[in-house]
Amino acid sequence: MGMQEVELREALRQAIDEEMTRDDAVFVMGEEVAEYNGAYKVTKGMLDKWGEKRIIDTPISENGFAGLCIGAAATGLRPVVEFMSFNFSFVAFDQLVSNACKMYYMSGNRFRIPIVFRGPNGAAAQVSCQHSHCVEAIYGNLPGFIIIAPSNPYDAKGLLKAAIRSNNPVIFLENELDYGMKMEIPEEEYLVPIGKAKVVREGADVTLISHSRMLKFCHEAAETLKKKEGVSTEIIDLRTIKPLDIATIVKSVQKTSRVVLVEEGHIFAGVSAEIGFQIQEHCFDYLDAPMVRVCQRETPLPYAKDLERASQPNPERIIDALYQVLK
Amino acid sequence: MAEKKDKYNFLKANEKEMLQSLGKEGLISALTQMLLIRNLELRAEAAYQQGKVGGFFHAYIGQEAIQTAAVNALGIQENWWITTYRCHALALLMGVDPNEIMAELYGKVTGNALGRGGSMHLYSDRLLGGFGIVGGHVPIAAGAAFQLKYSQEDGVAVCFLGDGAVVQGAFHESMNLASLWDLPLIVVVENNQWGMGTAVKRAVCVQPIAEHFAKGYGVESITFDGMSYLDSYNAFKTAQEYVKKHKRPVLMEAVTERFKGHSVSDPGLYRSKDELASVMKKDPIQRMKAWAEEQNYLTEEEFKALDKEQKDRVLAAMKFADESPDPDPKELEDDVFAPEGD
Repeated sequence: MGMQEVELREALRQAIDEEMTRDDAVFVMGEEVAEYNGAYKVTKGMLDKWGEKRIIDTPISENGFAGLCIGAAATGLRPVVEFMSFNFSFVAFDQLVSNACKMYYMSGNRFRIPIVFRGPNGAAAQVSCQHSHCVEAIYGNLPGFIIIAPSNPYDAKGLLKAAIRSNNPVIFLENELDYGMKMEIPEEEYLVPIGKAKVVREGADVTLISHSRMLKFCHEAAETLKKKEGVSTEIIDLRTIKPLDIATIVKSVQKTSRVVLVEEGHIFAGVSAEIGFQIQEHCFDYLDAPMVRVCQRETPLPYAKDLERASQPNPERIIDALYQVLK
Repeated sequence: MAEKKDKYNFLKANEKEMLQSLGKEGLISALTQMLLIRNLELRAEAAYQQGKVGGFFHAYIGQEAIQTAAVNALGIQENWWITTYRCHALALLMGVDPNEIMAELYGKVTGNALGRGGSMHLYSDRLLGGFGIVGGHVPIAAGAAFQLKYSQEDGVAVCFLGDGAVVQGAFHESMNLASLWDLPLIVVVENNQWGMGTAVKRAVCVQPIAEHFAKGYGVESITFDGMSYLDSYNAFKTAQEYVKKHKRPVLMEAVTERFKGHSVSDPGLYRSKDELASVMKKDPIQRMKAWAEEQNYLTEEEFKALDKEQKDRVLAAMKFADESPDPDPKELEDDVFAPEGD
């Protein structure tokens, strides 16, 4: 099988391009996606290839174009909506909350909403709190959404293709700081199934559960602890947050009996809170220590570099948490 | 603020010509549709008072001429239809069986949305809803219009909203996008003078609504007397021809009245008895009846028989709803997601 080294943004572009080739109903809409070639260049060159009918620049009007795309999805098209930042999805919140995730069920199964909302989620580099929020816990609270958060180019491509083919609304979370991440991926077409977590590092002593950009910090922490203490850490990359692959998590926790959950977003009612509770439901008798969460601290994310870093999970905080559960 | 009503530039139908072109069948069938709507609303409201219907309940009584004319003028199939939570009438006009509608109101498994939507959320294969958030459905309608254009299909998307919705951002953004992208969208503001209990002049800074707003979006407006079936029919025909010819959206304003409160729980204390009495004199059904009598299409007795037929149809629907089974709680969590695969 031929391999190619690509940046994550290119993996995403290939996914959209291949799906547009496969299905005429797929189109891209968002701010600066066409003539500007994408704020983060995910859609670079696509206007030239596909034309303005299918690569569509919008005015700064998220409530309007997100809702418009939900209407287009209900009537038979397959929109891929780019939010320049998922923080801007809040301007379209009513459309996502009241229409996208509810219409299929509420209409007595008449109108399915095959739509992908994609874009960078969470913090970038010092953009303060209005551009840094993590949305997965917020949208995760709404039945009807599929929520995907890949941590590398291989998964990003395969999962985005699966998301575009899904008949349901998908929140597809990327990260601004990861668009340049390079990886070898197959040249041939492949899909990554929605709803499957992956054990990305096998271990016996403790399970580290995370998603998206935080995986990088988890690997660093696991490596450090292996060298220093000989601790064997198992790492699970959720890949899909909802539906949650609890089976993969349970299997790991039954083996290690110790859990640290790492999430870039806030701690209160976060994704880790939910997963921790589900672990408690499934693995109560297996746990040898209270689970520990490493999440963003309970403040709006500040601008100053050191404050920003201290607020977010980082390798040191993850190592501290690992020591705590291994005591 | 200046008094508003004398400022409307109504598009009036030539009544004589319109009556001729509709003929006996056109007029009587529209009257029948309006009587079915009126009877369904009255009986369903009574069922609400008996505790058989829950949630919110918004009657279309007084506004029947508008949507009846729209559906008859435009036709159902090639178009998309989108409306507010005041949606019983449009569902009936789409051809949804009254049994299905009543069963939905009763929260039964035989209901139009399997008992999941209730009064505010009714559907058909061309009716996208029944939407509960004021103004939130206008972008959806723009999306339906976008689909028609993208897929190079004939037809228009027709979106009804109240006067209270035009001050929502979603309305503004949708109008901007529809005009910017030449979408085949007919946006119909049904100005019934009240956004719940707030008079339109206390909510909207310029009036008439459509004539002022349309200029800001660079689109055509059509304002008409929504209490007149003939004017309404004429206005929708004009709008449809315009959209098809110019491939541009249209903003319409139907000046109308609702005879009931905003919802069933609204006693309407903000409106005096005299005001309401003068409003009721404009009853669109009575006007239809008068035209039909003038044309010798209908006698008083025939009208009564027609009304009774619709009442009986609704009573049968109530019986059907009453006797229908409740949804099975075992199926509660089915269908949150659509099945995957082609």
